[in-house]
Formats: sequence, structure tokens, C-alpha cells
Amino acid sequence: MLAVSGVRKNFYGFTALDGVELHVEPGSFHALVGPNGAGKTTLFNVIVGRYRPDAGEVRLAGKRITGWPTHRVVRSGLGISFQRAQAFLSMSVLDNVTLAVLAQEGLTRNGLRPLANFPEARSKARELLDWVGLEERTHEPAESLPLGDLKRVDIAMALAGMPRLLLLDEPLAGLSRSERREMVRFIEELLRGLGLTLLFTEHDTEAVLRLADRITVLHQGRVLAEGTPDEIKNDARVIEAFLGE
Amino acid sequence: MKTHGALYLVATLLLAAPWLLPDYALEVAVQALILALFATAFNLVFAETGLLSFGHAAFFGAGAYASALLMQRASWPYLTTLPAAVLTAGLLALIIGFFSVRTSRIYFTMLTLAFAQLVWAVVHKWYAFTGGDNGITGLHPGALWGDVRALYYLALALFALGFALVRMLHHSPFGYALRAIRDNPARAEAVGLSPFGYLLAAFSFSGALAGAAGFLQVAWQRSAFPDFLYWTKSAEAIIAAILGGAQALFGPALGSLVFVELGAFVQARTEYWPLVLGLVLLALVLFLPRGLAGLGGRRARG
Ligand SMILES: Nc1ncnc2c1ncn2[C@@H]1O[C@H](COP(=O)(O)OP(=O)(O)O)[C@@H](O)[C@H]1O
Ligand SMILES: [Mg+2]
Repeated sequence: MLAVSGVRKNFYGFTALDGVELHVEPGSFHALVGPNGAGKTTLFNVIVGRYRPDAGEVRLAGKRITGWPTHRVVRSGLGISFQRAQAFLSMSVLDNVTLAVLAQEGLTRNGLRPLANFPEARSKARELLDWVGLEERTHEPAESLPLGDLKRVDIAMALAGMPRLLLLDEPLAGLSRSERREMVRFIEELLRGLGLTLLFTEHDTEAVLRLADRITVLHQGRVLAEGTPDEIKNDARVIEAFLGE
Repeated sequence: MKTHGALYLVATLLLAAPWLLPDYALEVAVQALILALFATAFNLVFAETGLLSFGHAAFFGAGAYASALLMQRASWPYLTTLPAAVLTAGLLALIIGFFSVRTSRIYFTMLTLAFAQLVWAVVHKWYAFTGGDNGITGLHPGALWGDVRALYYLALALFALGFALVRMLHHSPFGYALRAIRDNPARAEAVGLSPFGYLLAAFSFSGALAGAAGFLQVAWQRSAFPDFLYWTKSAEAIIAAILGGAQALFGPALGSLVFVELGAFVQARTEYWPLVLGLVLLALVLFLPRGLAGLGGRRARG
């Protein structure tokens, strides 16, 4: 589904990513873990075209997408929800998601008809909000939502184009314990149910072990280990890297 | 509904004004309508994209000079110069926007100001073509548009059309896309929007509308002057929008009415208009940061 090979990224002489290899199998939940500053977010940014890699390439379902601008990448089957929950705060929850649906369908250039008069996009947006459990809050302004709900809006928007691959950067960050548990259940049920491929980063080890089919460990910009949760748990290099922090 | 009632009342007053007002007051009303169209055009960019253009005078002036030059040199009848005025202004906005909308906020403001001053300098010095600082004077918009009543209705019609277009865009997916880019450009890209095209389209359209306002100014003054392109003209649109409330669709028009009427009133009595204006703006910023429209409460968007 996703193949990252030989990706290097330098920031002013500092090497944030150094020959990273990553293969995400279709239908799998793949976790990218590593200490803060390991390069996880940078790798995501390279995948989605926010940063251009200094070397290496990114393929999505076999197609080379290296260097594509973000808006093009997300319209070719990749959904993204980033580290900080993000939504368009001047709009209602429903308008946020409706806009995302229209953007995926290439209808946002329409300046003639009110957004509210796109019934298909509207009902698609309602369905997405239903999936993420926000059907009760559709008409609330996005700015009034607590962080946990904002993350759900963010994920609903990421799903607007029915992506084959979803990228979640720290979906649990900033959430309370109960919100975390709910979010893990939500990711498990919804995304498995949809048959999506998922690539995510997370610091919460328990959640990673519960959700992931495969884990890639990143350390100082390099891949340290790759395997199933059981393999990773027992990998001496990983234990050393994390205990050596 | 209450808002509908108020809307009909305002529309009736606007339509009946030529029979209610003496000619002098009507002249002032035309000026208010011209500024209302100009400020509404400016605010399309300011409110929807969050970008503060300090160069809209260039588009106002481009529309005015296109119209004036075609009348003077090619003897086009006044009304037929409207499409040319709108097109010239829109095209100039497309060029200036191409270089400006990519830049972040403060640079955008400085760049649009710099471009507009550049255009002003050319118009101001190019005697052979634009008449330089003498401007283009002695234009005859024809018997009909020489009549202040007819001109009032023309200005009202163009303002109403411009307002309707801006309102339509505001509620459309295009308008939402602009506000998404304003709220959070990174997230906007991540839902599949490419900011540049949207910003450039909005900026060009806004410039074209400002050109229509410049076109009206030519009939009102029967002349075109380099002043039309000077930065103080851009400032008028900014002041009107902020005075009325940039976050309300009708805010800039309301601000224009107050700005022009108050200006005429004060200038007829004292020479301290800039001082009064300064005090009004100060009071506004301190007590009514959402502009006059803020008096109507939060639901002022429509
Ligand atoms: N835009 C940038 N400019 C300079 N350095 C950056 C930039 N983005 C990330 N870095 C650096 O790259 C390293 C990896 O950061 P990041 O990818 O955010 O790590 P992680 O997400 O794994 O915590 C860090 O040392 C960070 O300071
Ligand atoms: Mg990170």
C-alpha cells in the first residue's frame, strides 16, 4: 500500500531522516514508534508532500508520489490527521466535514450555489460524523468542541475521500484517560470495519500493542527494528535504545 | 421576521432616495454607494481570506482610467466602458495577485501597497497617455448619466449586484474554501485544497469589482485623477470595512455610508475632518472592535 525507500531529510545540516525504509501492507495497522525527536512527524510530512526528501522515494499503491503537493496526495487515496487536532474553527462541525467532502469531489470551485444546497455532500458528511460518533454535535461551532471531539472531526475530514490509507499522528496525545480508551476502541472498530490501512504514531505503548499488526521503530532518524508487536517487545536493541534514553 | 422587515425598509429607502433628498445630498449618497462597492470588494479578500490588501486603489484606478481613456480617446459611450473597466481592473489584480497571494500576511500587505504605488507612479508621470498629474478631465458621460438621479440608480444597481455576488460567494463552497485556507492553511491543503488558486481567484474577482467602483467615480467626477490610485484611496476601503465591521457582509457598506456622510457633514462645518476621523476610529477600536455591525449582536452575518 505504502512503500517508503531510502528517504533522507536534512534540516540545515541536521539529519532528521537517514535512509528510512517502510512498507505498509494493505489492510494492516502499522505503528511507527520511537522517542521524541526520532523523526516520526518528519517522515509523515515527507509522505504527504509537506517536506521534499533529500533522497529516496515514496510510493502509494505502486504510484510514485514523491514531491507531489499535499492537496494532490490527499486526493489520491491518502487521508491525514495530524499531531495537533485541527479543524476550521470559524465553521460548524457539519460545515467542516461537508467542505472536506466537496474538496475531495472537486466541487469547492463552485461559487454559485450555497454549500448547504449540496445534499449529497451534506448526507455524506452526516454519515461520516455518525461514524465518528458526533451526530449530536453537527451544528455546533467547531471552536466550542473539546479536544477529543475535535480529533474526531479531524478524522471524519480525513475519511472524507474514502482513503485507502489513513495517517494518524499521535491520535491519543492530549486526551484524558477515558477519552483515550474511547479513541482506541473507536479506531479499532471503525477503521477495521472499513478495511482501511492505517499508519500511525503513538507514545502510549499499551495502545500501540493493542492496535498494531506491525511496528517500525525509529531512532535518531533510522529504522532500528521492524516486526510484529511480539518481536518488537522482545528485541534487545529496542529495549536498549529505550532504556538508554 | 424582523431582519426581513428591516431589509425591505432599507431597500425602499434606497430606491426612494432620489425623491426624498435634495441634489446635493444625492451627490453625497452616490459617493457613499461608490465607496460601499469599493469597500465590499476589498472586504471579500480581507474577511474571507484574512489577507489585508493595501493596494486596492490600483484596481479602483485601473477601472476609472480604462473608462476615462476609452471615453476620451475612442469616444466610447460611458456605459459601454463598464466591461472594459471591470476587465482591466481584474487583469491587473490577477497580475499583482500572482506575485502577492503566496506571501504571508504582512508581506502580502506590503507587496500590494508597493505594487499599487508603482502603478500610481506610472499613471502620475505618464503625461502622454494618462495626462499625468493633470488627470483626465472634462469627460461627458452623456445627458442621462450627467443627471445625478440616473447616476444614483446606476451606482445603486452596481452596488446591489456586487453585494449580491459577494454574498453568493460567501455562502458557496468557494467561500468556505477561502475561509478554510484563512483558518488553517495546512489543514486546508490536507483536505485537498490548493490555496494559491483560490486566493488568486478571490483577489482577481475583488479587483474587478473595485474596478466597477472606479468606473462609477469617473461619471461622478467627470474626470479621472492619479489620486484614485494613491494609497489613501486604499485606506478609505480599509477604514470603511473596519468602521462598519469586516465580519458582517453589509459591514463595509454601512461603514462607507457613515464615513462619507460624516465626512461631508464635518467638512461643511470645520476643517478638522482628519482629527474627527481619528477620534472616531479611536473610539471604535476601544469600544466597538467588531465595528458598527457589532452593535447588532453576534448574528450580524447574513
Ligand atoms: N521544520 C524543521 N526544521 C528544523 N528541524 C526540524 C523541523 N522539523 C523537525 N525537525 C527536527 O527533526 C527532528 C525530528 O523531529 P520530529 O519528526 O518532529 O520527531 P518526532 O515526531 O519523532 O517526535 C527533531 O530533532 C526536530 O527538531
Ligand atoms: Mg511528532
